[in-house]
Amino acid sequence: MSTQLLFAALVAGSLYALVALGLNLVYGTLRLLNIAHGDLVMIGAYVAFWMLSLLGMPPVLSLFAAAALCGGFGWLIYVGIFRKLLSTPALARRLEANSLILFYGVSVILQNGVSLAFTSTARGYQYLNEVHRFAGVAASGNRLMLLGVALVLCLGMLLFLRFHLFGWSLRAVIERRDAAAVVGVDVDRVQMATICTGFAIAGVAGVLVSMTEQITPFMGFPFTIAALVVIVLGGLGNIFAGIVAGFALGFIETFGIAATSATYRSILIYGLFVAVLLLRPQGLFGKAIQAR
Amino acid sequence: MTLLKKLKSIIAAGAVLAAGVAQAEEPVRIGYSMSLTGLFAQAAPSQVNAYELWEDQVNAAGGLDVGGVKRPVEFVTYDDQSNPANAVRIYEKLITEDKVDLLAAPWSTPIHLALAPILSRHKFPMVGNTAASVQLREVAPGYIWFPTAVIPDKVGEELAAFMKSKGVTSAAILSNVLPLSQEIKSFLVPALEKQGIAVPVNENYPPDIKDLTTLLTQTNESGADAVIMLSYPSDSFLFAAQAKELGVKAPFVLSLIGATFGSYQQALGESVNNIVTVGHWSPNQAAWPKAKPFFDAYKAKYNEAPDALDSALAYMSMEILQQAVATAGLDKEKIREAVSTMTFDTINGPIKFEGVQNTMTPTSFLQIQDGSLELVWPDSVKTKDFRPKTGW
Repeated sequence: MSTQLLFAALVAGSLYALVALGLNLVYGTLRLLNIAHGDLVMIGAYVAFWMLSLLGMPPVLSLFAAAALCGGFGWLIYVGIFRKLLSTPALARRLEANSLILFYGVSVILQNGVSLAFTSTARGYQYLNEVHRFAGVAASGNRLMLLGVALVLCLGMLLFLRFHLFGWSLRAVIERRDAAAVVGVDVDRVQMATICTGFAIAGVAGVLVSMTEQITPFMGFPFTIAALVVIVLGGLGNIFAGIVAGFALGFIETFGIAATSATYRSILIYGLFVAVLLLRPQGLFGKAIQAR
Repeated sequence: MTLLKKLKSIIAAGAVLAAGVAQAEEPVRIGYSMSLTGLFAQAAPSQVNAYELWEDQVNAAGGLDVGGVKRPVEFVTYDDQSNPANAVRIYEKLITEDKVDLLAAPWSTPIHLALAPILSRHKFPMVGNTAASVQLREVAPGYIWFPTAVIPDKVGEELAAFMKSKGVTSAAILSNVLPLSQEIKSFLVPALEKQGIAVPVNENYPPDIKDLTTLLTQTNESGADAVIMLSYPSDSFLFAAQAKELGVKAPFVLSLIGATFGSYQQALGESVNNIVTVGHWSPNQAAWPKAKPFFDAYKAKYNEAPDALDSALAYMSMEILQQAVATAGLDKEKIREAVSTMTFDTINGPIKFEGVQNTMTPTSFLQIQDGSLELVWPDSVKTKDFRPKTGW
């Protein structure tokens, strides 16, 4: 019973962490609040569905296709819209707030574009749905894969930020963009790489989600909300804390429901969210003084 | 001589003109709004597809019989964004500005309820379809009718009787907090009590639930021999996947909304075999000769099965309108009279209204049996015997 709950919490937490990771990367480096983030998850889910039904390509391979497609979309958006706006500090400052509206537009276009192209009929497919039993846990193959891929990506990103030179420049841009530019970090390149990575991660999350949920053009919004809650809990732009907060949310949700009742889910999640905003606006794990 | 010639040519010209008029008969315009975007968008295609199939079939057969004259049909449609207030404005516009000849129904109970007063005010009849609530009975009868047999009090009563007849002694009820689930539950719990069926688990959960481990563990531990999942589409999927994972053993399993969707079986395959759901139409009922041809035509056009609830109800509402117009023409009062009094021959068998309600179609239950939806209750309409659920 308790190991089964632990597993449920880990799966929920890893998905929250992964979805929030993409959003946090983009916010951290570009200071853009991507309200369309969940819609990229939706795009990833459709990639998995169509790749499987049209080409017979298993979702394991669609992970790469979805990453490429969403990453490519990120590149297009960066080159087409944001590069110029971000290069002038005055415009960039206004852009932080405007990005909310801008991405809202992107979200509406993505949802309705997909709805027009594929209709809003719910889709689904079967993949790795056999149940494995071990150590008192019953787990379907697709949820194990979700957990595995999400863990690898989160851990990989942390290691990359810690040990790779490009990861250092990424952190430098997150912490002090101007100073990073002064010491020779190619800010433009870092920003472009980050938006592609952030979008690609959302696409990957979409493929993972599509194995266990129904796929519709409007499935993305709850993921945007969940990701926002997670990165506010962790502290905006704080990558490590965001991942920890994702898992924390999964645990609080799962064990909170077990201890109280399922109807308290929203109270638990949003209660925590409001409490953190009131008591620790820099995030549970954020530094008291925001470097900005 | 010349006069006769003249007369002949005038007659000939007149005949040509008459033929021309007959050919270019003004189309009958039928207006509706649909939740193409927003909260209910997912449900829209099953209904729109049924409307468009009907349109194709009517036009292919030479047009809609309007009191003896055949005229082509065309739809005038708008997106209400799943918002009842928008739908109200759209129907006002359809009636007063677009001046459509007939109306077809939108999706969802709240939008149907919001429209009822508008229809009364403009004295414009509309046959509803997907609305399901006891509140429907409170709508003033006159210009709107509801063909559904999924009325929560009847569902509660019939479900309890159905369960009793299959030897169920205890039931775990897990219910979404959304209106239809709660309404059904409020009638089901007393009905179960009356049948002597214990309810060891009775829990609610929110629509955005992501994990049912706790609730399903509780259900398994209770040893209940029925699981009544009063679910909406997304949690129907979640439930089936997790019930398989956690090995739910109850032989009687019902899932409320979503189990009739094509994607449900696509995504969950054999694991959802023998799941019971709510619905009153099956293509396999031989007593309804129109049922199977509708199923086949829908499948041929859209490459997926029609939704046993929404597609069937949408198509039925057009059949009712079609048969009423054949007798009454396009006069609103005559149509109202016809819909209120006639008995209609539909894909769901005969339908007749008393007040706003269809009193002929019994409240029934469907079961997924080897990929097809079979009626398993009540005995008067069943197409197959109920099968206990033996595994996932």
